[in-house]
Amino acid sequence: MIVETEALGRTFGERTAVDALTFHIAPGEIVGLLGPNGAGKTTTIRMLATLLPASSGTARVCGHDIRDDPDAVRRSIGYVMQQVSPMGYYLLTGREKAEIEASLYHVPRRRVKERAAEVLDLVGLTEHADQLVQEYSGGMQKRLELACGLLHRPELLILDEPTLGLDVQSRHHVWEHIRTLGVAVLLATNYMDEADRLCDRLTIIDHGRTVATGTPAELKEALGVLTLDDVFLAHTGREVS
Amino acid sequence: MTQEVLALTRRWVIILFRERLNLLFSVLQPAVWLVFFAGGLSGAVVIDDYIAFALPGVIAFTVVGNSVTAAMPLLFDKETGYLDKLLSMPIRRGSILLSRFVFQVGMNSAQVIVILLIALPLGVRPATGVPGVIGILVTTALLTLAITSAALALACAAPSHGTFFAITGFATLPLLFMSNAFVPVDSMPAWMEPIARANPLTYAIEAMRLLVMEGWGGGVPVALGVLGVASGALLGVGVWQFARQTGQRVA
Repeated sequence: MIVETEALGRTFGERTAVDALTFHIAPGEIVGLLGPNGAGKTTTIRMLATLLPASSGTARVCGHDIRDDPDAVRRSIGYVMQQVSPMGYYLLTGREKAEIEASLYHVPRRRVKERAAEVLDLVGLTEHADQLVQEYSGGMQKRLELACGLLHRPELLILDEPTLGLDVQSRHHVWEHIRTLGVAVLLATNYMDEADRLCDRLTIIDHGRTVATGTPAELKEALGVLTLDDVFLAHTGREVS
Repeated sequence: MTQEVLALTRRWVIILFRERLNLLFSVLQPAVWLVFFAGGLSGAVVIDDYIAFALPGVIAFTVVGNSVTAAMPLLFDKETGYLDKLLSMPIRRGSILLSRFVFQVGMNSAQVIVILLIALPLGVRPATGVPGVIGILVTTALLTLAITSAALALACAAPSHGTFFAITGFATLPLLFMSNAFVPVDSMPAWMEPIARANPLTYAIEAMRLLVMEGWGGGVPVALGVLGVASGALLGVGVWQFARQTGQRVA
């Protein structure tokens, strides 16, 4: 298993953000983590990316315990964050950013340039590699982030809202790239069409708990509905919180 | 770890040279102090060679200003979320801090050399020659370590960049006035002396002033020793705050 969580939990003071969450991801599988805002998606991801310690339970990522061996976990994952402002590197070119991050992922020095060029090519940015990031469109910035998540050939790619705020063309472009990667992906999203198109399996969470899990087809069939939107609303309620 | 520090430092160097105007103004700033401030005051004070006297003060002031801004990238990485991205990578936490020191010591050393070159036509030549210049660079490296550590600690502890700028804006000039940058400690009012003596800046300036105006003597190692202890203590605070911020051991 690429990811195996065991009653993973996180509390912030009195509030329980994630409550005894159990799920798994098999090699090569794309698993969607769905839930309304505040359901615990980002908290779960931050625990798996070793940025936030778990309050209870544990998880193994690529066989490494997130508590005992966070460094081994970090070597095995590529983490593409939700909406990183490019301000910190907007004066770098896409290529420079990729090369710097390749070095940070300990890609051997003589292979850094080659590997950066490879991942930029993979997301269709070769033509724009030497442009400053500040000149990139939102979609190009997302693809650059995606490319940088792949530099060290991770076994698991964690994507937090990879197409948030993008236009339809850019979203389809990003999806095409995600589908062809062949690595296991944990995808947190609010877009049901995205989950439907990309994910092999879905876990819907609300208030930090799993409320439904299965393939998109299974989930729709179980409720006799046609769209994932209906599945989502049936499990998480229709009221706006 | 070397690869990590080099990669992180490369980011700062590329950005530095792409912001050319920023670079130009920060290089020119000390010249304005030296020519107009020290030059302007030189007729009004009893000190013989006031420009030579004020040179270490101008150097210290420049190093302090640069070192405070050294924390800004960390502050912004924290607020934009890029710090989290860095922390999700298999890098040593210490590399993030160390790259700031490496970059800032290099940058400040270059700037100090520029200031010393500007001082040449104004008639100031360090009494200790080239070894003295190396001594000055060692002093400014220690001062950079001290102030950068304090600023990094503040950047980690401050709830927002607004607080960071409010505190550093408030503290920077008083830190200078409460030192011997422009007035010898002996001619300060008696109540001010202990304040100046408690200020690490005073020791950095004292060491540099001896190297510029007199020569190597017992005073230089003593002042550098005090400065070194202060730098070590502030580094400890910086590392502690950074570890608290990132929830990790810094190793």
